Amino acid sequence: MRRRRSFATSIVGSGAGGGITAELLARAGLHVVIVEEGPLRSSADFDQRESTAYPFLYQESAARKTEDKAINILQGRCVGGSTTVNWTSSFRTPSSTLRYWRDRFGLADFTDDALAPFFMQAEKRLNIAPWLTAPNENNDLLRRGAAVLGVPAAAIARNVKGCWNLGSCGMGCPTNAKQSMLITTIPAALDRGATLLVETRAQRLEFANGNVRALVCGPVRPNGADASGPTTTIVARHYVLAGGAINTPALLLRSNVPDPHGRLGTRTFLHPVVMSAGVMAQKVEGWQGAPQSIYTDHFLETQAIDGPIGFKLEAPPLHPVIFSSSVVGFGEQQAELLRSFPSTHVLLALLRDGFHAQAPGGVVKLRSDGSPVLDYPLTGFVMDGARRAMLTMAEIQFAAGARQVLPVHELARPYDSWAQAREAIDSLPMKPLLTKVVSAHVMGGCGMAADSAQGVTRPDGGHWQLANVSIHDGSLFPTSIGANPQLSIYGIVNRLAQGLAKRLGAADVILA
Amino acid sequence: MQRRQWLALGAVSAAVLAAGGGALAFLRPGLEGERLSSAGREVFRGVGKAMLAGNWPVQPDLVRAAMEDWLNRVDVLVAGLPVHAQAELSQLLALLASGAGRVMLAGLLEPWETAPAAAIQQALQSMRVSSWSLRQQAYQALHDISGGAYFSAAQTWSLLGYPGPRALR
Repeated sequence: MRRRRSFATSIVGSGAGGGITAELLARAGLHVVIVEEGPLRSSADFDQRESTAYPFLYQESAARKTEDKAINILQGRCVGGSTTVNWTSSFRTPSSTLRYWRDRFGLADFTDDALAPFFMQAEKRLNIAPWLTAPNENNDLLRRGAAVLGVPAAAIARNVKGCWNLGSCGMGCPTNAKQSMLITTIPAALDRGATLLVETRAQRLEFANGNVRALVCGPVRPNGADASGPTTTIVARHYVLAGGAINTPALLLRSNVPDPHGRLGTRTFLHPVVMSAGVMAQKVEGWQGAPQSIYTDHFLETQAIDGPIGFKLEAPPLHPVIFSSSVVGFGEQQAELLRSFPSTHVLLALLRDGFHAQAPGGVVKLRSDGSPVLDYPLTGFVMDGARRAMLTMAEIQFAAGARQVLPVHELARPYDSWAQAREAIDSLPMKPLLTKVVSAHVMGGCGMAADSAQGVTRPDGGHWQLANVSIHDGSLFPTSIGANPQLSIYGIVNRLAQGLAKRLGAADVILA
Repeated sequence: MQRRQWLALGAVSAAVLAAGGGALAFLRPGLEGERLSSAGREVFRGVGKAMLAGNWPVQPDLVRAAMEDWLNRVDVLVAGLPVHAQAELSQLLALLASGAGRVMLAGLLEPWETAPAAAIQQALQSMRVSSWSLRQQAYQALHDISGGAYFSAAQTWSLLGYPGPRALR
């Protein structure tokens, strides 16, 4: 038996975009339902263990992969979405990215000045501020190594309040210091009468004559499989899709919505990441202390955005499972490297995809069971950037005093000097599946554009072909961001949702 | 399962039929009820012996217990995977468990149970750097599941020098 419920607004997804939208619309007086595929887990459940976090808080047990399995994707799947499991790094959308959007996609009101108030509100609401505590050794090594080479590095702003400096952000913050959607906007929306459905997947939209009539949802099991049980049909005046990149395009694909220019699901970006592991003489203990507190944009800023692919450098947190997966190799040789965990320093490079014809990103497709898969071919252009990034990371690590550096590549071995590493990396075949590539930032697939031929979504967040649908998540981005994306979603969706509230005739609201 | 993956595995399956004779139905599935089947366990025991060499306890009676614990953790990990990934893993393990599939996909001549660790390591290495992406994908899956299940348990953390999470109370 199907259940049928009516609301003013239905929001799919409780992550960065869904949370901001839910709070604003609920405060504007609208009756809102939030449909979340993942479970509700909170600090009482966050035991700082990967074996708990990965299956319960992440898409596909933190093992979602691209179609050719060359890229492993970390994306959240729980109340709060990826904001519950991210590493708190907060950057406004870079000016150079916004300029590209204005020039190439006609997004004329995406200027630094126009967006500034919306970013400021989000920063205030989520306590985003520069992290003033001394960086842990894993991060300080990036700063020191870069300084030796004359490369500037800076502190990363974080969305935390009363942080205990534990380093367990990726497993859910056990002290509620991380200002994720889970403890900020979702409770605020619920306090104002919003309804939250969890472990409930939006299966498809039913529409006619350019308007959605209903959203059909079904229960899911802990591993994401469809559960037996009645579907729930939600009828609303307006539908906001905020399931995140990959998931929002998938919902629209399952629904067979109009896509006259074939844009849906295309231009999905990942900031493909490559890594380098350095063994130091001293203790690093990369599992403790605020993760990702130092960064450098030097290798983004020193070349044209549409030139050879640039990369941002950061130092990720390290815990046993993610570490053992990142140390390539097996058997006794790998075991020896694993013993060096306490003195291992890892750098990662986020490649800025989407700004060149040879970095067009990937395409979201559906499997026969309706689940999404991203087809993202790693082009030679992108892999050239991967090589340059590995060279840079090795050079920085040796400059910081590394005894050995292992580029994370199946054919690499630990190198004892920068000269040796440089020669080796120069001749590594930079191919998918040999080069370990991961992603924690999924963007695009329902890109905004001023022209329906160039995008899925209008500049105000409305879907180009469906009048009562808006998209308020990372799938909006026409390119990758070139920075960790959470604040871009908060700030941009803040503006879109305030505009939506007005169009729906609700009270004026601001985020903070 | 992605169609291309089916076709790729299908090509191997067809080759397995040709080499070994008999219907695809005779391949024992690698998973049963979202856990490793006995065929799946057979493969993983062999893989674990080689993949995690250097991490197992030294005393033989402790190794057996550690391996069973680890296989139970593999079951938990597998149960958390989405349906499409379980289906792929089940077929991959089914092929690896069959004689012809083991030879063709892994390059391992002897059965998993009796092959020495060094021979299995050679097979894994050949998969790791193979020009056939299916073999590389299979290696990565075995690598990540093996290590992920192994190091998710607190009793293995001393091997890494990892003290565990900081107590909050």
